[in-house]
Amino acid sequence: MADVDIVIEICGSAGDGTISSGEILSRFMSSQGFEIMSFDSYPSEIRGFGKCVAHSRISNKKVLSPGKYTDILIALNNAHAISQLHTLRETGIVIFDNKPPNYLEEDQSIAGWIEPGMISYGIPLLNLSQKASGSARGRNMVALGALAAIFGIDGEQMKSAIHARYAKKNKVVIDSNINSFAEGFTWAQQHVTKVDSYTFGHSKPKPSKEKKAIINGNQAVAQAAIDSGLHLYAGYPITPATKIMEIVSRELPKKGGVMVQTEDEISAIGHVIGAGYAGKRAMTATSGPGFCLMSELANLAVMAEVPAVLVNSQRGGPSTGLPTRNEQSDLNIALFGGSGDSPRIVLAPTSVNECYTCTTLAFYLAEKYQTLVIILLDFFLSNSIRNITTPVPPKANQLNSNVAPTKTALKDYKRYKLTKNGISPRAIPGTPGGMCISTGLEHSEHGHPRYDRNTHPAMTEKRFNKIQGALSEAPKPRWVGPKKNVDIGVIAWGSTAGSAHEAVLNARKEGINVAFMSTVILSPFPVKEIKKFSEACSRILVPELNYTGQFANVLSPHLSRSIERLNMVTGLPISAEDILEKIRDMAR
Amino acid sequence: MDILKNSYLDEELEAVKKQGFLDYRTSQLPTWCPGCGYFGITHAIVQTCNDLQLKKEEVCVVSGIGCAGRYPIFMDVYGFHTVHGRSLPIAAGIKLSREELTVFAVAGDGDALGIGGGHLPHTIRRNVDITLFLFDNSIYGLTKGQTSPTTPLNQATNSHLKGNPDTPLKPVSLALAYGASFVARCYAGDVDGMKDVFRQAITHKGFSFIHIVTPCVTFDKTNITWGRLNGTVEPIEPVHDQTSFESALRLAEIPRLITGIFYQDKKRPSYMEIIRETQS
Ligand code: SF4
Repeated sequence: MADVDIVIEICGSAGDGTISSGEILSRFMSSQGFEIMSFDSYPSEIRGFGKCVAHSRISNKKVLSPGKYTDILIALNNAHAISQLHTLRETGIVIFDNKPPNYLEEDQSIAGWIEPGMISYGIPLLNLSQKASGSARGRNMVALGALAAIFGIDGEQMKSAIHARYAKKNKVVIDSNINSFAEGFTWAQQHVTKVDSYTFGHSKPKPSKEKKAIINGNQAVAQAAIDSGLHLYAGYPITPATKIMEIVSRELPKKGGVMVQTEDEISAIGHVIGAGYAGKRAMTATSGPGFCLMSELANLAVMAEVPAVLVNSQRGGPSTGLPTRNEQSDLNIALFGGSGDSPRIVLAPTSVNECYTCTTLAFYLAEKYQTLVIILLDFFLSNSIRNITTPVPPKANQLNSNVAPTKTALKDYKRYKLTKNGISPRAIPGTPGGMCISTGLEHSEHGHPRYDRNTHPAMTEKRFNKIQGALSEAPKPRWVGPKKNVDIGVIAWGSTAGSAHEAVLNARKEGINVAFMSTVILSPFPVKEIKKFSEACSRILVPELNYTGQFANVLSPHLSRSIERLNMVTGLPISAEDILEKIRDMAR
Repeated sequence: MDILKNSYLDEELEAVKKQGFLDYRTSQLPTWCPGCGYFGITHAIVQTCNDLQLKKEEVCVVSGIGCAGRYPIFMDVYGFHTVHGRSLPIAAGIKLSREELTVFAVAGDGDALGIGGGHLPHTIRRNVDITLFLFDNSIYGLTKGQTSPTTPLNQATNSHLKGNPDTPLKPVSLALAYGASFVARCYAGDVDGMKDVFRQAITHKGFSFIHIVTPCVTFDKTNITWGRLNGTVEPIEPVHDQTSFESALRLAEIPRLITGIFYQDKKRPSYMEIIRETQS
């Protein structure tokens, strides 16, 4: 079976149906058994005719990153598509409207911008749309039809997928979409002479029998939270985390839970801590600026030993920063934010799939270790759409992980009892005999404020020691490639890990002796595994999306070798190509 | 000197113990200054809990920071001493998770109206079924005598030696304006008056706002003092219509120590009732 690995971008104005046609394409190709990774960009302004791009990588192999270069660009709007040409491969293909309503100067039509080596297929998108639907609104479907005809996608099956997508709409909507698609398909079959070699047709994988969920990172987090027995969600709208609140607000009340849209992020984490204290599972999701507001109360969860799950979907910072751009620059505040010595558990999923598994793990760990668990997403991960195997919901024993005190322990109940593993059995309100004081002041085992010279050291140590147990319950760091005598070891975290993984696989194909490691648990830090990996490698590369190399700085005290860094703050996800280029440089 | 004999004190203690309210107290002795108004408030709260026969394990007391913040340490219930200004969101989180619990938020004037002032209108408008005990001594006591949001204009404090330049807030008027479904004022020197209001506040379905005027004997020698206030309490006349927002507001604007229930809306559903009805 020949490899298929094609990146398609549909580019148009708000209102052109750009994103919806991208969604139809991704869903359909997923149903055909392909792996997909999609990413939509919207204008950050609310109104106007901003640029929309639906980016989709479609492959019959495992997809690890969104792909830096586009193979096929569908232009629904000339001006926007021209500005998107920089990502088109040198041998890429452009599908455009060759019969626009008005005469366009050469530099206004994308046709005037096509470089030698590129291929363009002109389709009368508007004319065909008007013929099929009586309006310009079917242009996106005409384009999809042409795409299907030119690149070996089954037109009949795709037609039924479009039908299914609009099944709930009225007949006029369904018909105009279907007819537009058919019009584009037939026209292209009759008029386009194919001169490129891209095709999906010959290499169609077997559609897998397992049910695939097509979701983005935010949806995975929301679903996982609900599957984990979420009772209370509190949040304040902030890009790119708002979607989590919106999904939860629809699903949670059906299960008897509560969603509170609070007055600010401080109140949000306050509600979460209240619910956690009361013995229920609770979560909030935010981004950098909101995360800053939460840091004082997040520290209370650590000190008073109350479970709290906090999602931070990172965007560019500092301050309001770049709300709709990608960055991994909140690692420092996630690991160290707040006052004092404040240990917490930090998990950073590297894929949509792990957004689900990390969230279920976060609830389990927060409750068991009675502390703050931070989940670090980023703009890209929150919004990147994957077709993943429907995740397995947590088992019953994961749904209640509170360590409760025994009857004997309740006779002289010590809320903060010093135990071997640091976990003090926790009586939740309503437990007779468990009345006690929980406090953000340093405290004795009974919870009474104490500032003497022995209590603070003992309690600080307890708080640090207890979370060490989380290391053995989190997934082990992933090690790809040889186990010894490696020239270059790449260590990555968060959404960068997918690109790094792909870069390493491609570098190995080129004969470079390189290995890859990523970890989802960032605190407590899996020192042993990372050390072992670094000792097997002569050189270490850490690619990440921040200026100072926050992760590299965390790693560096644990490694005996110095770290080479690839730091980018362009606001875009790091691509496998960028990392591969750096690996090649190092290997030279 | 029979009166000082242990046996007599033991008998006295036994008699007090029989009344039951000591059960709601821990063995921790309050760290407040002798003469502080908080002793009387504490006494009224535990007595009310006892009168209502609340199960100790089903009472949660959430406090912030300040002299009032220490309150939960002295009550043998589920106490949560949190951070400055955030007792309301945390108390709300508890109540929205476990409706069967009786939840108190305790906050000083700095806590509830200064640093945490932003949470007050929103907890009020959601009508979360909790009771806020606002211990208002018009001063920052724990940090030793700085101006608070209710310190009178021109009063000298340790942060404004030449007198407070900021116009004070009026807690009862604010709570009414925010739309609280239960608004009352008490005086820390009037245990019976407090008990009467506390009982109705705790049993009120929805958010109860209790403004408690209480002297800080250490850092305020001129304004809210026992000497100045004792004897000036004016209980609200029985003719006052507690369901009338206008009368309540008019009463609240009178700058005297008027105590009792200013306003109560018994019909308004609590937050959980609204959620259950409209969201699921
Ligand atoms: S400083 Fe004032 S408010 Fe604080 S305990 Fe002493 S008297 Fe009471």
